[in-house]
Amino acid sequence: MSKDSYLSPFSLATSDVLKEMLDINIDGSETASEGDLFVSQGFIVVVGFTGGWKGRFFLDMSSETAIQMASLLTGDDYDSVGDEDVIMSGAELANIISGNAITDINNSQPGLNIRLTPPSVFAGDGISMFNVRLSSSSALMQTNIGTIKINVAVEGGK
Amino acid sequence: MKGLRADGTAIRIMAVDDSPISRKMIKKALEPEGFVIVGEAANGKEAVELYPTIQADVVTMDVTMPVMDGLDAASAIKNINSKQKIIMLSAMGDDDIIKDAKSRGIDDVCAKPFKPDEIIGKIIRILEN
Repeated sequence: MSKDSYLSPFSLATSDVLKEMLDINIDGSETASEGDLFVSQGFIVVVGFTGGWKGRFFLDMSSETAIQMASLLTGDDYDSVGDEDVIMSGAELANIISGNAITDINNSQPGLNIRLTPPSVFAGDGISMFNVRLSSSSALMQTNIGTIKINVAVEGGK
Repeated sequence: MKGLRADGTAIRIMAVDDSPISRKMIKKALEPEGFVIVGEAANGKEAVELYPTIQADVVTMDVTMPVMDGLDAASAIKNINSKQKIIMLSAMGDDDIIKDAKSRGIDDVCAKPFKPDEIIGKIIRILEN
């Protein structure tokens, strides 16, 4: 399984969901391979997947971007990344992005039957995540509210 | 006001989703059109327990939820009331899940992210049928 084959559906879903739910356009995007260490910009949502593929999806951004994203989604103003609505907005966006991506993958490869786990959210300075036995790939997306980084890791991915 | 019947009474909705943001967005889409959210549940088990205490015209049901998922909850609600109208509202909508949903009697499917007009149209259509 190539990195493109598992990163592309998530990149496409991220672009579509940000446009449809928040009216955010992706101004530029680049892909990058990751080593064992993933350093967060300050706010990261993790969604796991099981079934035909085992792995996980990260939606990562700065705290400021997370706050702006929540404001765009709910129409309310927030001043802290610790606000429950900010945390839940990030979780819901990551859930929808990964749900849409996995739907496309399941439909294009019948029998995979990949399912998602509920999202987990981590916020704070200096958060590092280690990839244990997982190969991962990232896409960095430039938007008018900051850089959004997605990272997809699949067991056995190359 | 699409959420009102000819006699002026509001169409009653039960929203089942583990995400409070998602429930907020359902309210935001429906309440301006006169629909009333008569009950909210954060997982399938809560939904099945709450369901007999309210009279909902339509249940919107997420799929991936903790404790009990939306497909099992829909089956349990259909066992209580086979005529209950249920719309699956989920980011996961692959062919296998849709087939499973239909086999459990779920009336329609709406993919997240949804537009207000889309979910309103589906609610009106399943009530007309």
